[in-house]
Amino acid sequence: MSALKERHYQVLLAPVISEKSTMLAETRNTVVFRVAPDAEKHEIKAAVEGLFNVRVQGVRVVNVKGKVKRFGRFAGRRANVRKAYVTLEPGQELDFVMGGSA
Amino acid sequence: MEDQNVQNLEPNTEAAPAAEEAANPLERKVTLRIPAEQIANETQRLIKQYARSVKMPGFRPGKVPLKLVERMYGSEARSEALSKAIEKALTEAIQQGEYRVAGGYRIDPVGDEPAAEGEFVVEAAFEIYPEIEIVDLKEVEVVKPVVTVDDAAVERTIEVLRKQRATFVEVDRPAEKGDRVTVDFVGTLDGEPFEGGSATDYVYVIGESRLLPEFDTAPVGLKAGEKKTFDVTFPENYGAENLAGKTAQFELTVKKVEAPQLPEVDAEFAKSLGIEDGDVAKMRDEIRASLEREVKARIDSEVKRQVFDHLLAKHDFPVPQSLVASEAQTLAENAKRDLQMRGMKVDNLPVDPKWFEEEAQRRVRLGLLIAEIVKQFELVAKPEQVRALIEEMAQNYDDPQALVKWYYENPQRLGNAEAVVIENNVVGWALERMTVKEEPRDFESFMNPNVAA
Repeated sequence: MSALKERHYQVLLAPVISEKSTMLAETRNTVVFRVAPDAEKHEIKAAVEGLFNVRVQGVRVVNVKGKVKRFGRFAGRRANVRKAYVTLEPGQELDFVMGGSA
Repeated sequence: MEDQNVQNLEPNTEAAPAAEEAANPLERKVTLRIPAEQIANETQRLIKQYARSVKMPGFRPGKVPLKLVERMYGSEARSEALSKAIEKALTEAIQQGEYRVAGGYRIDPVGDEPAAEGEFVVEAAFEIYPEIEIVDLKEVEVVKPVVTVDDAAVERTIEVLRKQRATFVEVDRPAEKGDRVTVDFVGTLDGEPFEGGSATDYVYVIGESRLLPEFDTAPVGLKAGEKKTFDVTFPENYGAENLAGKTAQFELTVKKVEAPQLPEVDAEFAKSLGIEDGDVAKMRDEIRASLEREVKARIDSEVKRQVFDHLLAKHDFPVPQSLVASEAQTLAENAKRDLQMRGMKVDNLPVDPKWFEEEAQRRVRLGLLIAEIVKQFELVAKPEQVRALIEEMAQNYDDPQALVKWYYENPQRLGNAEAVVIENNVVGWALERMTVKEEPRDFESFMNPNVAA
């Protein structure tokens, strides 16, 4: 199990805490994570189920391209971010705000 | 939503004065009881207040969920609510107990959890002002020096003034004490000239003791053009380290001897002292008047010192330590600033307020005592008294009106003047009650106690 656990930690980088994520948590029973760029949906599902001991209904992912920023004549690029919207099965709960620690 | 919890902010506190402690007779203790519910409500209210302005990444300002705000700022809000409630309860307890608080609050730290039965129990202690009973001052004896300014005193003052204005006239005789000499000298240490040990045309007055004594008296008995070789032993604590404790040889050549010539007491002299028409009799009157002013000021301050000493000795009361501590702190800071003004580096100079504790104790006691006397006998400074004092002080200045204005345009300066008036009032009040014994004193020994002793 330990090798698998390790992958779990590699997949899930951090919870996304924002107005949107709070709203989703309240209305859709969905939690949002920043995940590794190469993470696949089934990996994310396994990671969330394995680490937080909840059952996952579905995972949807999105790639956010980093913005191109220039400084004078130098062009730079912010890192791309992959986010995962993880819908939990009804009755399951996951709360990052009030000490629901991973 | 903002207002739903704002009710129930009234602190339903009961203050119960606990048993008084013997160690510090001025310390009072109260036990404050604050309902836990009140704290909880207040904490919620504060969190809501924070939420309106908190900024957090991912949220627009003011849109951060309350839960998040509580997590970030909950303990802060809690302790603020608690300290506010304590403060309020303490104020109320003080009002109820009619304490005159001098300061020195000590509040026992409380945990986050209510102690029992949904209440926070806080022990608070503070110092109150002492009750001062003004005692009968009948048998207190104040010695008031009586000094008359006689002709001899005036003459002596004129003598001093003449010496200050002495001119020097070259003479052809051996130098004496009081003469001004012009000399060349070469100083050698073990046969080698040393730095700063030689000079030409060095001028000084013998006997003014600004130099080492051996050097000072060396030219005595020498005429202009004569030479002398002598030894000088530098003292151990001499400024220049390479010379301290050593013996150097000096060869000194006197080039000029000048005898002091005192100016005649005449119209010219009077004019130089500011008497425009050069009237000598008028000059004497002026000198006498100024001496009398000085004597009066000296007597007043002497009497004032005695009165305050007696008052302090007669009234024994405990002093709030918190006031003493802050006074000592002030004194220490003043002393530090004083040193700094004289060009010393004070940053790493440890000035301990403890050194000033005794002085602070005296000041605080005197301050409290005077305040009490002023209160009981209504000796507050009346505006016309202040005016009179300032105008009297202004008499010594060229432009009296300017000084008067200077005092009145700044409340702090006016306050200082008021303090002086109050002191004078208290001294006058005390003198009415004390027995004043007059004691004739000699002018000279009174004005220059150090010389006479």
